Amino acid sequence: MSLAINYIANSLLILCLVTSIIQSRFLFRIQNYNLLSISQLSAIQFLSILVSFVILIFLFITSDFNFDLVYFHSHSEKPFIYKLSGVWGNHEGSMLLWILILVLFNFLFSLSKSSSQKFKEITVAVQSLMIFGFVLFLLMLSNPFNINNENFNDGLGLNPILQDPLLAIHPPILYIGYVGFSLIFSLSITGLLTSEVDKKWATIAKPWVFAAWSFLTAGIALGSYWAYYELGWGGYWFWDPVENASLMPWLSATALIHCVVVLQRKNTMQSWTMVLAILTFSLSLAGTFLVRSGVLNSVHTFASDPGRGLFILIFLFIILSSSFLLFALKSEKIDKPSSHNISSRNTGIMVNNWLLISILIVVFLGTMYPLATDLLYNQSLTVGPQYYAMSITPIIILFLFFMILSPQLSWGESKLLKILNEMRYILISCLTITFLTTLYYDLFNLTEILIIFLSLILIISSLSSGLNFKSTKVIVKSNFGQSMAHAGFGIFMLAVVSNAVYSQEKIYDAKVGSKLQLDEYIFDFKNIEQEEKVNFNSIKAYLSLSKSGKDLGEFTPEIRFYSDPPTITSETSIIHQFFSDVYVVMNVPQNQESISLRLHIKPFMNILWLGVVMIILGGIITVILNRNNYRENEIN
Amino acid sequence: MTDTVKKRLIKFLVSLIIFGIAILIIVYNLRDNIVYFYSPSEIIENNQTGSQIVRLGGLVESESVMSDGDSIFHFKITDGQEQISVKYQGILPNLFAEEKGVVVEGIYMNDGRFIANKVLAKHDENYMPPEVIKSLKETGKWQE
Repeated sequence: MSLAINYIANSLLILCLVTSIIQSRFLFRIQNYNLLSISQLSAIQFLSILVSFVILIFLFITSDFNFDLVYFHSHSEKPFIYKLSGVWGNHEGSMLLWILILVLFNFLFSLSKSSSQKFKEITVAVQSLMIFGFVLFLLMLSNPFNINNENFNDGLGLNPILQDPLLAIHPPILYIGYVGFSLIFSLSITGLLTSEVDKKWATIAKPWVFAAWSFLTAGIALGSYWAYYELGWGGYWFWDPVENASLMPWLSATALIHCVVVLQRKNTMQSWTMVLAILTFSLSLAGTFLVRSGVLNSVHTFASDPGRGLFILIFLFIILSSSFLLFALKSEKIDKPSSHNISSRNTGIMVNNWLLISILIVVFLGTMYPLATDLLYNQSLTVGPQYYAMSITPIIILFLFFMILSPQLSWGESKLLKILNEMRYILISCLTITFLTTLYYDLFNLTEILIIFLSLILIISSLSSGLNFKSTKVIVKSNFGQSMAHAGFGIFMLAVVSNAVYSQEKIYDAKVGSKLQLDEYIFDFKNIEQEEKVNFNSIKAYLSLSKSGKDLGEFTPEIRFYSDPPTITSETSIIHQFFSDVYVVMNVPQNQESISLRLHIKPFMNILWLGVVMIILGGIITVILNRNNYRENEIN
Repeated sequence: MTDTVKKRLIKFLVSLIIFGIAILIIVYNLRDNIVYFYSPSEIIENNQTGSQIVRLGGLVESESVMSDGDSIFHFKITDGQEQISVKYQGILPNLFAEEKGVVVEGIYMNDGRFIANKVLAKHDENYMPPEVIKSLKETGKWQE
């Protein structure tokens, strides 16, 4: 039975491999094959991978330990959802998921009607060449369907820290983002090959870029939220190399979405857009390589194998060198001379592009410097989070300034004084609010005050530009996605700064029955209990929270002892209030009498996540509104 | 100079200045915020005492962990050759255990004690910080 499944799954992978070769024929100007259309072939690629993925899911759900992958990463007693997420909680399975999304994008694009036949042929060909590379990698170096001849009774399980509902969906969402940029990359290569990087190109690429960007943002946000409540350190971003690996493509992608808009409107910044498209996908690939290879050590690193790292490195090298060679040959042809005024929206967007790239360089240097010193001088070191905070803060202030200014500028020429005049009410009200907050909360740090002031203006000016207030009703304008995302970023920055300033934490050695205090909150330590669950045992503490006599709820922080594999995890307990989160973590008891508890007050966390959600929604809304506009244009 | 050339020149200069300043800030900050990693032997050899925050890694020596309440812990970190006494107030990570790898961050005092403000949490019972593996290999204490 297992042998038959192995045979079927491998045949499907080979089918996809062969179809991808046929699909990439347009790159080599071989066109004498017309048996099936592009979209039919793309459907074959998609279905063959989909079916093999479903087979893998089936193997995990039925706990078929004849398969190595299931044996090493699953366990019969694991809850259903974690058997499912176990499919991509390992190297081979996550590679198959990666490929599934790759063929999905290829299939969806082959169905789209926005581009000419020739353009579509070449794009699908480039995409299929990549599919070929990855399927080959899967078959040769990380086949998920390898079988063993032992009769194992049970599997070795999955890292319990990964047994979390959020982490079950975090990788697929993040991957859709990463892999989405493969299509943008293919579109760019096609644009360069045909020397057609213009308004038309931007119109074709726009929905895909925004969709991929939205998923990437959501994927990073989910990872960050998971770290916030699962790792129990009270923070939401640690400048961990793996987090940085996902932030770098995001920064470059954020620059890219703005360039695509400029390209669509003004038919300018062609070569810069191409550079960003290639850079974003390369960083996505490098992110995968860094995370998977074990170069970076973290919870994300699966069992590493130098051969796999080398393959992705070679793949990355081929993609980078060939695409930049192509770019060097073609960039002269795609750049159209343009004349635009210095005080136009292009300039603002361009400046913020530089600033985003500056942040990217900061993150890149901070991530790579320890690797470099280790290799060159055999000296281990870490770059502290202070480095990022200090380097990025001044850039963010400039960034916020231009984020406020650019949307006020027209695409043609604008007078700065006129804009200042138009914004006078917003400026005055924000200045007043900032002044009052500063007085009320005793803020003295100029940087913090400045960021709060700029964020407030950004929120109000963005929202007022996306909505049209007419006496009784509110009209949503076509740039609503943009205004939503920009306002979301303002809210996010406001929350980040306030959170950094007003977070509090305290550690107690507490006995049952004692009352603990942090700020105005009283924690009543009521009880401690032991429990036995399906796949772990736990020690749970019960505390109730109150503030000035008012009961606010109950905490149940927990320590879990998993058996397969033996691991201890802490479950944090959080009470969410509108303006602040109260957060309790407990320690593994060292003695019978007392227990260490760490209490946190994390202000504005809800607002921070609200900002992030608005940024993601902004991207999605842009895709939807864009689609509607596209339909309208077609009809007219 | 024609108008377009002038504009290009302005653009070029502005971008040069912005990038120049950015890179300067970055490099300056990077140099200030590096945390070096040492093994017990290295920290004694280099005599890294003072106010600078460093990381120290090795194995938690067996039967060295003591607690005197209020979440204050004392333990020794060894690389097989030298050992350093560490004092730490806070919550120990779940995977902190005797004879297991550990990395602490803090200040190495003149009297030879290490005051840690962080004990780094790791996620897996088999996980050993790469720096610790390296320093154990150097002292010949590493066992596969």
